[in-house]
Amino acid sequence: MDKTGTAVWDRIDISTKQCVAWRFPARSIWVERMENEWHVLSLSPEKWRGGVRREPVSRAQKPTSSQWRHYLHKQSGPVQPIPVLPDKPVVVRPDRALTLLPGQEALFFLEIPVWFRLCTTVPRHLRIFEEPIAILSKTWFGDPITGELCYGLATRLHQGIDSVEPTSFNAVCPLSIANDSDSDLAFEKICLHVENLNVFRAAKRLWANKLNVVFRGPDQATQIEIDRDAPRFEKGLSLFGPARQPSAGWNIRRTFGMLKSFTDF
Amino acid sequence: MFFQQVSAWLHSLSPDVLSRALRIVLTLVIGLFLVRVLAVVVQRYIMRKSTPQRQMIARKAIGYSGFVLVLVAVLGELGVKLTALLGAAGIVGIAVGIASQTSVSNIIGGLFLISEKPFGIGDVIRTGTTTGIIQSIDLLSIKIRTFDNLFVRIPNEKIISSEVVNLTRFPIRRMDLLFQIAYGEDLSGVQDLLEHIARGNPWSLDEPNPVIVFNDFKENGIEVLFGLWFSQPDFVELKNSIMKDITTRFAAAGISFASPHRTIRIVEGSIS
Repeated sequence: MDKTGTAVWDRIDISTKQCVAWRFPARSIWVERMENEWHVLSLSPEKWRGGVRREPVSRAQKPTSSQWRHYLHKQSGPVQPIPVLPDKPVVVRPDRALTLLPGQEALFFLEIPVWFRLCTTVPRHLRIFEEPIAILSKTWFGDPITGELCYGLATRLHQGIDSVEPTSFNAVCPLSIANDSDSDLAFEKICLHVENLNVFRAAKRLWANKLNVVFRGPDQATQIEIDRDAPRFEKGLSLFGPARQPSAGWNIRRTFGMLKSFTDF
Repeated sequence: MFFQQVSAWLHSLSPDVLSRALRIVLTLVIGLFLVRVLAVVVQRYIMRKSTPQRQMIARKAIGYSGFVLVLVAVLGELGVKLTALLGAAGIVGIAVGIASQTSVSNIIGGLFLISEKPFGIGDVIRTGTTTGIIQSIDLLSIKIRTFDNLFVRIPNEKIISSEVVNLTRFPIRRMDLLFQIAYGEDLSGVQDLLEHIARGNPWSLDEPNPVIVFNDFKENGIEVLFGLWFSQPDFVELKNSIMKDITTRFAAAGISFASPHRTIRIVEGSIS
């Protein structure tokens, strides 16, 4: 079944001795239900060009590999794939140099690759496994002693949602930045604590919470607010992938952390 | 027979002696038990969020002080005069101190290690030819478990007076690889290829940027320093993968490593 929209994330009932594969451009995942066990194989082969899809796989087509992992779970029942954001902050490096002039505001749309998490639904939600769909490079943000380990992501800062190609393996994160200072704000890299963000599902794409950043100058605290509601750029959004570390709105510690990030440009 | 003898002996003792013996036993049992409970409570509950090293110091401090207090109480029950004992202890202490200078030196070294904190329990250190994980920092010595699972005890005095490298103090490190490439290779091409290798390796950090330095003109080739930053836990993965990457990518690009060679010129007519 070719899944052009986000239907690849639909709940599915896998009966005993049935195998199902999820195909993404940078990762393929096979899940097989056995008596009392889930068997999972996750491979990151050369680029899959057959489109994002979920398909049943016969036992003959099932890949032979020593990397199959077995998870013991007695209850059979539907499983729920859930897109979640990466487990570390993401340092976004825009593909072009951008400078926000004093007093200006801008809205950008960032694409952040999601992780594939598979959960049981019976008798309760229980995580079977999770894997990044795309392998991001690791990077260090801050000085070598007090900085933090992050994922690096070179991407385009889209200024309109129309230029963002709908995919089911990237979450679009709206980022509103206001330069409330007298100095230019040059964008070279932005550290986003994506582990605080939820993933919302629409018909054709995934979304993350909107971030509102107010830059008050290199020597002032930069304010960062996570918009708790679903982004308003598309109708019919529903909360789908919960944040790894839910944040209660304004977070002073992280705000100061981001202050260093922003003044570190 | 034996029990009858014991019973007869007990009956021969005066009630005063029996009561004192009972008090001593109770002091020992209850006192040591309370010290043990206090040490456990402090370690598990009060200092729950402290480092393992501080927990260990607190546990030992409570243990030793508690033991001394119990001992003093028992000696008091036995009728030993503490003032006389302390006077005698002073004289004995001087004699023991002279005879055990090394131990005292180790103890002072241990106090310095505890206060200066060059490393803690769980850190990986290298001193001399020994590299391993700190298991404990005691008053006389530190204990290390090496990566090939050997137990090494190093006296504190030796640690204080020698160079110690703490490999896990900072969260990221740089791995420096030194190798030589043959003379005649395109250095710009080598630099581009190394940058590409670093970018493509999942264990190498994008930032700080990798270091590529053409270090020196050596006898057989040009020495290259290739430094890659990595997160502490990724050491083995990076080391193995980067060695494979360099070997295969250099071979594919036709870049040769330097190997010892001699150029011999034979001038015509010089050999008879």
